Amino acid sequence: MPRLTPRLLHHRDATGRLLLGLAALALWEAVVRLAAVSPLVLPAPSQVAQVLVQSLASGYLVPHVARTLAEVLLGLLLGGTLGFALGLALGESARLRRLLMPYVLLTQVVPKLALAPLFIVWFGFGLLPVVVMTALICFFPLLENTATGLQHTEAAALELFRLLRASRWQTLWRLKVPASLPGILAGVRVAVVLAWVGAVVGEFIGASQGLGAVIVAAQGSMDTPLMFAALALITALGLACYAAVLAVQQRLLQALGTRAPLPA
Amino acid sequence: MHADGAPPAALVLDQVSHTYAGRGAGVQAVSLDVAPGAVQVLVGRSGCGKTTLLKLAAGLLPAQAGQVRVQGQAVTGPQARVGFVFQAPTLLPWLSVADNVLLPIRLHRSPLPPEHARAAALLAQMGLQGLASERPARLSGGQQSRVALARALITQPALLLLDEPFAALDAITREELQQALATLCEARRTAVLFVTHDLAEAVFLADRVCVMHAGRLCASLPIQLPRPRRAALRDSPGFAALCAQLRHELHQPEATASTRAEAEAEASVAASSQPGAA
Repeated sequence: MPRLTPRLLHHRDATGRLLLGLAALALWEAVVRLAAVSPLVLPAPSQVAQVLVQSLASGYLVPHVARTLAEVLLGLLLGGTLGFALGLALGESARLRRLLMPYVLLTQVVPKLALAPLFIVWFGFGLLPVVVMTALICFFPLLENTATGLQHTEAAALELFRLLRASRWQTLWRLKVPASLPGILAGVRVAVVLAWVGAVVGEFIGASQGLGAVIVAAQGSMDTPLMFAALALITALGLACYAAVLAVQQRLLQALGTRAPLPA
Repeated sequence: MHADGAPPAALVLDQVSHTYAGRGAGVQAVSLDVAPGAVQVLVGRSGCGKTTLLKLAAGLLPAQAGQVRVQGQAVTGPQARVGFVFQAPTLLPWLSVADNVLLPIRLHRSPLPPEHARAAALLAQMGLQGLASERPARLSGGQQSRVALARALITQPALLLLDEPFAALDAITREELQQALATLCEARRTAVLFVTHDLAEAVFLADRVCVMHAGRLCASLPIQLPRPRRAALRDSPGFAALCAQLRHELHQPEATASTRAEAEAEASVAASSQPGAA
């Protein structure tokens, strides 16, 4: 038997993954065709693919994709920035942590879907309520990972900075933040995935544009294949965003000489 | 202060005490001084207060009683003229070796060209030439310890404090690093207070070894071996005899300490029974 190098193993696993996915699609296709399932209930993958290609080629889906993508990116930027900033504050001050943490948790425990009608009242229809919803969902993983990372900075390194008479600001930016970066970036990865959930859920409630709105409209016209097409597109875009963040952070952590914890 | 014009001691501990609430002996009324350029080693069992004493000298812990002076000035916090080496190298993984060495300067200002040159020279003396732009993760444990030593010396401190810096290294690497430290400090006349529980290390490095037990210094042994110290010294009968003597002191501390306490008690009784003496 040839020796399996890590690279070969990696290729073998990737091939296996691909085959598994193809097999599932083939099974789905076969079940739908053999049992003559109505496309209203479950369209065959081939039919979904056809609708997807058609609606992309005709340009019907393009503005919706652009809209959802804009909401995801703006929500991520807003929520991520706020989460990181608040995470810095809570990581640095135990007092602030005791004071604010219950309320931060409150914003996460409240069902976001129930907040959506309220957001429409506050922010009207359009981009803003969806961006706010997305930001609300994204900010927590960054806050949590930043605050936790700062608090777990190695005691000896903190003592070194005290000995070198570093200011609190220097200790934060030149020690605690770089040391917490692997955790903070893991928070970004989670936030990217959640941003898609936030944007689509936000669009369900009160949007005329975006992939979530397409799903709602397709449901109204009983166009199940289009619903599946929109769903497939959301999934593919979500995965692509995750892969992009992963690639950027691997590069970043390598440049910083910190070993990156790889997701499974 | 010094009417004779002699330079003040690099480090003076004057009846210094520090106890932690609810645990351990801490440090109790310890007096000790390290002359400029002298190497003082502190040995003792784990938990005897060695590290606490070092932190008091570094200004990381406040003395609850007594006074700590570095070059004649009272210590109230961490000082620029004091270098410190931890048990672990504690290098920043995202900085290059050279930037780790220059960190003590970079935290306060941009390093000047002579400081870059000094960093390069220190790395060369430590046998790390060519590794300046590497990340610490690519270095061996011994190399990382050398970088930590270079970082402590970059500001040319008058006093270097070391807390079992070589304890985690293998025996051969440890001896190489002891040699490197001895050579560097002899050349620069840096005063050293070195904490260890390795007796051969203590004898090889020290001008004087103090034995610590339960927060007190209970014995002091001058090491009159010739300098510069070289590896061959370790095989000499004098070296072995000093190690044996030190081991004997380490096994005796309870007796010595209690005898001393009794002597002190007697002295205070004697003093109080003579009210007219003062």
